[in-house]
Amino acid sequence: MSSVEQGGVNLKPSGRVAGTSTSLAEVSISQTVGQLTVPDPVFSCRDVSVHYGSKQGVRDVSIDVGKRQVLAMIGPSGCGKSTFLRCLNRMNDTIAGARVTGKILLEGRDIHDRQLDVVQLRARVGMVFQKPNPFPKSIYDNVAYGPRLHGLARSRAQLDDIVCTSLQRAGLWDEVKDRLSQAGTGLSGGQQQRLCIARTIAVEPEVILMDEPCSALDPIATARIEDLIDELRASYAIVIVTHSMQQAARVSQRTAYFHLGSLVEVGETDRVFTNPRHKLTEDYITGRFG
Amino acid sequence: MLEGHISKAFDGALAALHIRVLEMGGLVLAQVREAARAYTSWDALAAERVIARAADVSGYDESIFQDQFTLIARRQPVSRDLRAVFVMEKSVAELERAGAEARKIARTVLQQSGRPARATSSDVRQLAQLATGLMRLSLEALDRIDGALAAQVIAYDEELDAEYAAGLRRLLTRAMEDPRHLDIAMEAAFVLKSLERIGDHARIMARHVQSLAPQGDPPADEGRSDPLDDRAPASPSSPAADPAAPANPSTSGHDAP
Repeated sequence: MSSVEQGGVNLKPSGRVAGTSTSLAEVSISQTVGQLTVPDPVFSCRDVSVHYGSKQGVRDVSIDVGKRQVLAMIGPSGCGKSTFLRCLNRMNDTIAGARVTGKILLEGRDIHDRQLDVVQLRARVGMVFQKPNPFPKSIYDNVAYGPRLHGLARSRAQLDDIVCTSLQRAGLWDEVKDRLSQAGTGLSGGQQQRLCIARTIAVEPEVILMDEPCSALDPIATARIEDLIDELRASYAIVIVTHSMQQAARVSQRTAYFHLGSLVEVGETDRVFTNPRHKLTEDYITGRFG
Repeated sequence: MLEGHISKAFDGALAALHIRVLEMGGLVLAQVREAARAYTSWDALAAERVIARAADVSGYDESIFQDQFTLIARRQPVSRDLRAVFVMEKSVAELERAGAEARKIARTVLQQSGRPARATSSDVRQLAQLATGLMRLSLEALDRIDGALAAQVIAYDEELDAEYAAGLRRLLTRAMEDPRHLDIAMEAAFVLKSLERIGDHARIMARHVQSLAPQGDPPADEGRSDPLDDRAPASPSSPAADPAAPANPSTSGHDAP
């Protein structure tokens, strides 16, 4: 099988299929090793490339993101993993000179469709950044901002309910319930990051993108975020970029390894960390190359 | 294949662990050789040396476990590095068990219940040569992480099993012909069993090496000298033949056990 028919859009891989496997699950697209496709994906990306002017940052990346699972993207600095992550909610649109090609389907619909509202897309695909970035507003307003913007609450009581639920799901409610009017910037780093996660989930996204969400946090705050990621997985698809391979191994169900802009290998995390198929992957995760 | 990390200290820690396991293997091999010689020559002093050195084998076991523990805690190895650490651990367990078999043989000598007859000694010597040859080969496979060599060990263990069965049959025949020395025959049977178990430990170690070796190793060089011959240097003669033993042990004469 050389193409996937999904949501009325023909997802045609590049055709550079390695090996002789005819199983869709095992087929290797764009010379990537491993299982690129998953059943009923939330995101289906095919031959995604990103250019910054004449420089190519991402090369022909094809991968699916499954529902209710965590996909970890690992690789050395400059390998294109963050750039690819930013393609998923069109954050690269904000960078002058950036050009994205290929197909990215969210629930079967092309996210580059001209009729698609980018603001709506970013509500469906939330993002948590490396450095916690709460708004210079109260804790309450930080979480209420998204639902207000997207008109998700019809009354103050409904908004209160969304704020409370979001903070609870982010594991922050018990720590801030008595000081919701205080500034979000006054929280500790780990609490700020969980506030950002609460802000992201307040608009009920389908996917949460995380770009090194724990790199600025201490081990305790990191453990809390990782625990939270595991809980959120029950409701959302999560794509996380991390430089910590132990973190990727701990939190994800699938792992993708990027190298020089290409997706080298993707597969079940258990397999990738115990029996990687590509030498580049093995050399990277065992600390022989980076 | 265990080297090449960006962190040279990680390379060093893995290499040190590997060397410690091979050192332990060398000691166990010496124990097995000396125990077999103590039995066949009925040498109580040699048997005492084996018993005295048994504590050194246990010492290796404990210190290697500590090294592995530290390496896992500090380096968090994954993939082939993690497999290597586990293969080392499993190999140490097999070596420890092989060392225990050598100790059993030495204790048999120290009990001084009766010296085995010449034909029984010859059978034990022949089986000991096969067992130590297998152990040496298995350690070589572990040293080089050589899957093809490990496959040879596994194949040769069948030869050792066949020799054990034949030796046991001859021993029983001799015991039936002269039941006065049944107790000595029974002890000899336990010694043969210990040597057969040592061969099994070598085979299990080889299986672990196979799980670590890169896939698609080239087949073993058919022209190489017989790897089972424990005499150094390796002899091109038939497998592990003891020059003092009859050409066809299965048809040798039956004297007292």
